[in-house]
Amino acid sequence: MTALIQLTGITKVLKGQEQPRTILDGVSLDVHPGESLAIVGRSGSGKSTLLSVLGLFDRPDQGTYLLSGTDISRLPERRAAKLRSSHFGFVFQRFFLLKHLTAAQNVAMALVNGQGWLPRRQRRARVMQALDEVGIAHLAKNRPARMSGGEQQRVAIARALVREPRILLADEPTGALDTETGTLVIDALQSVTARGCALILVTHDRDHAARMGRLLHLDAGVLTEQLVTS
Amino acid sequence: MMRLSGRARSALIIGLQGIRSRKTRTLLSMVSLFLGVLAVVVVQAGASIAERALLADMELFEGLDGTVVMDIGGTSPQLGPVVTTTVAGRSDAVAMTGMQAIIGEPGVRPVNEGGVPLDGSWGDPGPPMTCDETGCRELPAAEIQPKGQAIEVRLTALTGDVRKYRPYRPQSGEWLDFSTMPSLAPRLVLNKAAAVGFEQYQVPAEMRVTGASANMTPHFIGVVDDGDQQPRAYVRLDELSHWVPAARLIDPNMSEVRVLMTAGTPVEQVLSAKLRALGVEPMVRTVNSREDQEEQLALMRLVFLAMAGLVLLIGVAGILNVGLATVGERVEEFALRRAVGTPRTLLAGIVLAETLITGLLTAALAIGVSVLGMKALVTLAGGSQPFLQGMEFPWDAGVAGVIAGLIAGVLGGFVPAIRAAGIPIATVMRA
Repeated sequence: MTALIQLTGITKVLKGQEQPRTILDGVSLDVHPGESLAIVGRSGSGKSTLLSVLGLFDRPDQGTYLLSGTDISRLPERRAAKLRSSHFGFVFQRFFLLKHLTAAQNVAMALVNGQGWLPRRQRRARVMQALDEVGIAHLAKNRPARMSGGEQQRVAIARALVREPRILLADEPTGALDTETGTLVIDALQSVTARGCALILVTHDRDHAARMGRLLHLDAGVLTEQLVTS
Repeated sequence: MMRLSGRARSALIIGLQGIRSRKTRTLLSMVSLFLGVLAVVVVQAGASIAERALLADMELFEGLDGTVVMDIGGTSPQLGPVVTTTVAGRSDAVAMTGMQAIIGEPGVRPVNEGGVPLDGSWGDPGPPMTCDETGCRELPAAEIQPKGQAIEVRLTALTGDVRKYRPYRPQSGEWLDFSTMPSLAPRLVLNKAAAVGFEQYQVPAEMRVTGASANMTPHFIGVVDDGDQQPRAYVRLDELSHWVPAARLIDPNMSEVRVLMTAGTPVEQVLSAKLRALGVEPMVRTVNSREDQEEQLALMRLVFLAMAGLVLLIGVAGILNVGLATVGERVEEFALRRAVGTPRTLLAGIVLAETLITGLLTAALAIGVSVLGMKALVTLAGGSQPFLQGMEFPWDAGVAGVIAGLIAGVLGGFVPAIRAAGIPIATVMRA
C-alpha cells in the first residue's frame, strides 16, 4: 500500500545563531492511512519542528517529503496553504479558539478560509456534524469562556475534523488538561483513524503515547521507532 | 446581480466578525477618521456652495449661463423703435434700455448727482456736467440748480420679464407684471441701492426722465437685489413709452441698450440685420460664467481639497495606528488561520476589509452629519443669504466622502494587512 506520508532524510537546521543547530537530523518516516502514531521525546528534541514540517508550516532544508507519492518538499506557500486546508487537521496544546466567536463559528473558521466556498446551510451542517462527532453539539452556541478546558479542546478537534482531513496532527493536545479529560480527548482523536485518517500525536504522556499504534522517539533530531508494549 | 468570489465573501465575513468583536477599537478608528472624512465632505460641499455663491452673483450681472447677450451702441433715433418693435411680445428675448431718471421735487439737483451710490462709496462725483451729440462739458454756474430732495437712478425699461435670464432676488413687494394692461403711472421696482436712498430721503414722488413729454408720478411696487451698487429702477417699457417717445428711449448721453435672448432664437439674426441696416454693429456673446471662472474655481477647489487632504491624513494615521495595534493583538489568530489553510492574500484581505468597512461606515456617518448640517444651515441662514435658498446637499460632496473613506481604509489598512500576511504559522506551534 502506498504510504500517505513518506519522509526521507529530512534535515532541518536552525540558522541565525553563532553556530547552526541541527533540529532534525535525517528523519525518515512512513505513515499509512488510518494509522495512529505517537512521537515522544524531551523538550527541545525537535518534536514540534517535525510536526511543523509534516504540517507544511515549515520546509525541510534537506530530504524528501512525499504526500500520497507527490513530492511536496519545496511547495510554494500558496499550494501549501491549499494542501493544509484539504489534507491536514491541526490540534494544539493551547486550543487557540477565538474568544469572540461561538463554538460553531470557531469550527466554521476552517471552512471560511478562502479555499472554496460552501453555502451557509451546508457549512452549518458540516459544523454541527463535526461538533456531534466529538460529543459537544449542544455547546454550538457557547463562547469559549463558558466552556471547560476539555470542551474547548474538543471544539478545537472539531475544527480540525470539519474538513475531513486525511492526516490529523496533534501537538500535545492534553498538555493543558487533567488526566481524565485528557483521556477523553485522546479517545476523540483516536476515533478518526477508524475512517482512514492518520493520526500523528506529539506528547510527553507515556500513557497516551502507548495507546497509539506506533511509538516513535525523537532525540536530538534523530527519530527511532520503539515497540509498543501495551 | 454581481456575486462576490468565495475569497471576497470570506474576507467580508471574517472582517465583520472582527469589527463586531472589537467595537471600541472600531469606534476609536472611526472617531479620527470621521473628522477627516467630514473635512473632505464639508470642503467639497463648501466649494460647491462657494461656487454657487460666486456664480449666483455673476448671474445677476451677466445672466444665466447660455443666455445670448446683444449689446447695442449708437445714438440713432431709430434704434429704440427698431429694438422694441422686434423684441416686444416675444417670450424668447427681452430688451433692456437704460436712461437717467431723477425722482423727487422738481427744479432741484439730486442728492446723488450722476446716479452715484448714496453711501458715498464712489467718491465725489465732481462738478455738474451736461452732454449732447457734440460731447460733455461742465455746466455753467448760472445753470446749476440748487441741490434738493431728489434721487437720481438709472432707469431700466424692459420689454418683458427679464428674470428668466437674470434671476433678481425679490426683497419686498412684487416684480413687474407683464401680463396686465400697461399702467399710465409707471410702476417701478427698485434695486436695493435705490431703496436705501428712498428710505433715507423721503422725497416727493415725481419722476423726471430725459426726453419725456412730461414728468410722471412713479408707483413703487417692489424691491429686488440685482447685485448693482448704483441706484436703479426697473419699469415696463410700454408703461414708460406713454411718456417717453420711442425715439428718445435711447439715452444719447449714456447709450445702454441690451437684448437678452434664449440661445437659438431667430431674434438674434433678425435684429442684427436690422441694426446693420442702421449702421450699427451689435456685439453678441453667450454667457458662460462657469467656464470663465473655471480657473478660479479650480484653484479654490484645489486649496480646499489640500486642506481636507491634510485632515484626512490625520484620520489615516489614526486608522493605521489602531490597525497595527489590532494586528499585534491578533498574531495568534492570523497564525491559526494560516494553519487551517487561509492564504496570505486572504489574511491581508481580511484586514483591508475591516478598514474598508470602517472607512465606509465613517463616510456614511460623516455624509449624514453633513446633510443634516446643510439642512440646518439653509433653515437658519437661508433668509439672510439668498444663494442658500433652496440649496440641497451637493451629492458630489457625498461621493467625495465615500471615496475619501475608501482611500483612508486602503491607506490605513495597507501596512497592517501586509503585517498580518507575514505572520509565521509557527507562532501557534511555539505558543
